[in-house]
Amino acid sequence: MASRKEGTGSASTTSTSAAGAASGKGKGKGGSGDSAVKQVQIDGLVVLKIIKHYQEEGQGNEVVQGVLLGLVVEDRLEITNCFPFPQHTEDDADFDEVQYQMEMMRSLRHVNIDHLHVGWYQSTYYGSFVTRALLDSQFSYQHAIEESVVLIYDPIKTAQGSLSLKAYRLTPKLMEVCKEKDFSPEALKKANITFEHMFEEVPIIIKNSHLINVLMWELEKKSAVADKHELLSLASSNHLGKSLQLLMDRVDEMSQDIVKYNTYMRNTSKQQQQKHQYQQRRQQENQQRQSRGEPPLPEEDMSKLFKPLQPPARMDSLLIAGQINTYCQNIKEFTAQNLGKLFMAQALQEYNN
Amino acid sequence: MSRFFTTGSDSESESSLSGEELAPKPVGGNYGKQPLLLSEDEEDTKRVVRSAKDKRFEELTNLIRTIRNAMKIRDVTKCLEEFELLGKAFGKAKSIVDKEGVPRFYIRILADLEDYLNELWEDKEGKKKMNKNNAKALSTLRQKIRKYNRDYEAQITSYKQNPEQSADEDAEKNEEDSEGSSSSDEDEDGLSATSFLKKKSEAPSGESRKFLKKMEDEDEDSEDSEDDEDWGSDSTSSDSDSEEDDGKYTLLASKFLKKESTTDKKAAEKKREDKAKKKHDRKSKRLDEEEEDNEGGEWERVRGGAPLVKPKMFAKGTEITHAIVVKKLNEILQARGKKGTDRAAQIELLQLLVQIAAENNLGEGVIVKIKFNIIASLYDYNPNLATYMKPEMWQKCLDCINELMDILFANPNIFVGENILEESENLSNFEQPLRVRGCILTLVERMDEEFTKIMQNTDPHSQEYVEHLKDEARVCAIIERVQRYLQEKGTTEEICRIYLRRVLHTYYKFDYKAHQRQLAPPEGSSKSEQDQAENEGEDSAVLMERLCKYIYAKDRTDRIRTCAILCHIYHHALHSRWYQARDLMLMSHLQDNIQHADPPVQILYNRTMVQLGICAFRQGLTKDAHNALLDIQSSGRAKELLGQGLLLRSLQERNQEQEKVERRRQVPFHLHINLELLECVYLVSAMLLEIPYMAAHESDARRRMISKQFHHQLRVGERQPLLGPPESMREHVVAASKAMKMGDWKTCHSFIINEKMNGKVWDLFPEANKVRTMLVRKIQEESLRTYLFTYSSVYDSISMETLSDMFQLDLPTVHSIISKMIISEELMASLDQPTQTVVMHRTEPTAQQNLALQLAEKLGSLVENNERVFDHKQGTYGGYFRDQKDGYRKNEGGYMRRGGYRQQQSQTSY
Repeated sequence: MASRKEGTGSASTTSTSAAGAASGKGKGKGGSGDSAVKQVQIDGLVVLKIIKHYQEEGQGNEVVQGVLLGLVVEDRLEITNCFPFPQHTEDDADFDEVQYQMEMMRSLRHVNIDHLHVGWYQSTYYGSFVTRALLDSQFSYQHAIEESVVLIYDPIKTAQGSLSLKAYRLTPKLMEVCKEKDFSPEALKKANITFEHMFEEVPIIIKNSHLINVLMWELEKKSAVADKHELLSLASSNHLGKSLQLLMDRVDEMSQDIVKYNTYMRNTSKQQQQKHQYQQRRQQENQQRQSRGEPPLPEEDMSKLFKPLQPPARMDSLLIAGQINTYCQNIKEFTAQNLGKLFMAQALQEYNN
Repeated sequence: MSRFFTTGSDSESESSLSGEELAPKPVGGNYGKQPLLLSEDEEDTKRVVRSAKDKRFEELTNLIRTIRNAMKIRDVTKCLEEFELLGKAFGKAKSIVDKEGVPRFYIRILADLEDYLNELWEDKEGKKKMNKNNAKALSTLRQKIRKYNRDYEAQITSYKQNPEQSADEDAEKNEEDSEGSSSSDEDEDGLSATSFLKKKSEAPSGESRKFLKKMEDEDEDSEDSEDDEDWGSDSTSSDSDSEEDDGKYTLLASKFLKKESTTDKKAAEKKREDKAKKKHDRKSKRLDEEEEDNEGGEWERVRGGAPLVKPKMFAKGTEITHAIVVKKLNEILQARGKKGTDRAAQIELLQLLVQIAAENNLGEGVIVKIKFNIIASLYDYNPNLATYMKPEMWQKCLDCINELMDILFANPNIFVGENILEESENLSNFEQPLRVRGCILTLVERMDEEFTKIMQNTDPHSQEYVEHLKDEARVCAIIERVQRYLQEKGTTEEICRIYLRRVLHTYYKFDYKAHQRQLAPPEGSSKSEQDQAENEGEDSAVLMERLCKYIYAKDRTDRIRTCAILCHIYHHALHSRWYQARDLMLMSHLQDNIQHADPPVQILYNRTMVQLGICAFRQGLTKDAHNALLDIQSSGRAKELLGQGLLLRSLQERNQEQEKVERRRQVPFHLHINLELLECVYLVSAMLLEIPYMAAHESDARRRMISKQFHHQLRVGERQPLLGPPESMREHVVAASKAMKMGDWKTCHSFIINEKMNGKVWDLFPEANKVRTMLVRKIQEESLRTYLFTYSSVYDSISMETLSDMFQLDLPTVHSIISKMIISEELMASLDQPTQTVVMHRTEPTAQQNLALQLAEKLGSLVENNERVFDHKQGTYGGYFRDQKDGYRKNEGGYMRRGGYRQQQSQTSY
């Protein structure tokens, strides 16, 4: 039963994701002009394995993660296999993840499977994945293996009937900034980075071998009516409420961040003023002393007297902004779909009457 | 006691001896041993022979001596210095020590020093008096010696077990080295063994006295100077000190008498006794000042009984006249306040004097005057403000005041007053009105304070407290008498003061008689005679009214008026006259400036507010009750604010002085307001307010808490992993709140009013049943409101009859409650009159809408914040961009309008 359902699921996703990839391509072209990877081609097996991984281990807002394996062919990244990171428990604190990965890849190599590390995947809860942790680990991946991508799998959207799998990479600009490790307002301004330019989405193509396609066709014929009611579900309040709640939380964070920044600005200007006053006073005193024939006061180190304030790191606010953006996109998409469904339902109602 | 006598005589006998020895003292300087050493040539030569060992040991013994001296004068800093030197010297002597073993005297000093330090350490009082350097040195030295002694643990324990023996052995070994022993040895040699016992304590003490004297010279503290005044006590005290000192000498000395083992044993025994005594002595010395003072008194009586005994009787045959009596009186009074005056004896003398005066018919004037002085000296008996009078003194004082009042009432021609000068007093001339200096009012006020002090210092749960409390009636009676007296003779100011006293003794008492009369006004006539007689006393309400009004009108000091107002309010509140109490409170404007008042008045204010809150609660005015109690309860320091106990938490924050002051401010137990009752009233009124409010604003993000404490209790309740049946009052209220949240008034009712709660709280009210009925009704009403808030979204319409059944309220009440809710726009509904139903309008926003509204609000604030950053940036550029900024503002009009909308929203949501 399970396998059949998955089978039908994947059959349907091929079509939807193809459409998504087509639209993604259009979008992607602008952002990833100079990127090493222009397209991601995923094997059906990988998609199924990721979904399976989440269903088995992930629940609620817990995320599951794993390693992607594959090969780069020209400007196309082909992901042909993956394996999950084991779930952590408190007991085995000394568990070595790197060791595990190496071991796993070696084993895969023995059975002649692609064993090149090309990125990682992660599930997400209502699209909340733009976090510092993701940024950091993707940076280290991309730093080590230039063509790595992160696949974001949204199980909730998938449960609603449309597979949601997205590939992201950090933009070269952001890579630069992260390399510098300087997140001060000036550095970010210089790098001319905004939340829109942090991640670039790489279009995805899901590709199956012909044999599998044939099998699909056969299975589809054999199966009774494919139940795809999830797609038509009219229930929206729960999902929308959750999204709004999360969005609100981020807005709160953003607000706090701004307040923090504001205080910083105020403090710096205050300090600037004090510095100015001090200089003026010094100057006046020196003039007086000069007129009295005394030697001027020695120069003092201004930076010692007025320690420059630590500017707050702006990366977090960028990330929050990015996250808010994703939420908004999600909500927009969701509401648009739902509105369509509602109209459809209305039409159906009228027709029946 | 006997010991002091014997030593006293001892000192006399040896005074000549010590006098001789005292002479070379100034020459001796710090190292008092030197002159003695020089005089003993033989020994000097002997020492040269064994110089290697001797030199080192001499060094050590010298150091040890200085340490002992320092120990005696409690100079810990010096001790520390010397100890360090000693350690070094010992290190130098290591080679010899290795050969000879660790010398006994060294072990002894280590053990002694440690004991001494531990003793000092234990002595908290003494430590506090120590100056900083000493205290610091004490702790360092204590640590050092502990560490150091670890190496010599075995020897020290063996020494401690058997100090004599080890001392003996030691002395044998150090025969020639020890100068101390040589000197006593010199003394000892000339004496026969039989006289040893007596001599032993004298000779070394005489010798050691020298050191002691020197020390006293160096370090003359007040105690010493006091002692110096009279020789007797000085000799005894110094003797006891010197004995402590001669411990080591005699130990050494005893060795020389080893042959006579029996006497030696006796000596050792005596030694031990002495030691024990010494210890005791030392301890008693360190007792606190007060006791020292007492001791001083005792000393005085023994020593100088003569000067006080003398005036007891007038010389026989002397004609006793006013002048003589007054002269005697002044004579006695002159001793007053001086150090070492026996206050008890003084009081006795004064009483004798009264008798004499009465016997000789010297007239009331003199008696009044002496009586004034007796009372004053009774008050003086305790030099310390914090301590309270002993019961017998207190009784005496009350009697005395009563007698005085009797005289004053009986003789209206006696004038008393503070302002009458001593010279213008008229005690003897009976033609003119008698004039006596003295103020009865001050005496009474002082008496009242003493009474409070006694009550404060008695355990409130003991029978003793009840006994003391019985005196309250007498105190009241006296105050009443004085009041009557002053009403005739006193000035308005005095009357105000005595009125205030009266008020202070009246305001907190619940007038049961008046209460009963109120309950059954017409039937009063049918009651028995006795009841009628009882009822004749003035209603306390009327009394309060009269006294307070007088004070309001006549008083010129702000404090008395403030106190009177507060008491008046308290009294009103206690008797459930809520509106009078409230109006008085509001009219007085005390809330505005009470923080400038002194702490006792503030405590009174707090008490009044609490009583006011409880009164409001009894009247069913939950909101007022909550507001009145909020300040007291929200701080969590109700106990402290009401002066009903000190908080342990802040013990570290205040020093002893502050604590004493705070202790003095405490309200006696019989005036206490039950804190559990207070908290329960607060929590229940918070529940009645908060639960419906919470239900109404469930989804409102900007909901405010009405009562933080109540929420805290709820949270504590929620955190419980396992919910058993409620035990404490708080748990009951929390459980009731939960039931009310569901609109389940019956459960709520059963939690709030049950056996346990009745016993704990509700029965404490004078009209418990009335309060309970009020409470039930309140619970029903508020539950109804909560129910409507919570479940209105489920209903399209609901019949009022159903509601009235559900909450067991009659239809009109339900109708009025719902109408009120509709009018105040809490409930979006309308009433359908013909069917008696409530029709819901469903205008309440759904969850999503609520969320969206919240989000909009948050975004608004986000934009505002963002804008501020922007403003800031422009501000730094000066005026250049100002025009542009205005333009920006104008463009943002749309946003501003949205803000306006938001404000409207927030207004309606309240």
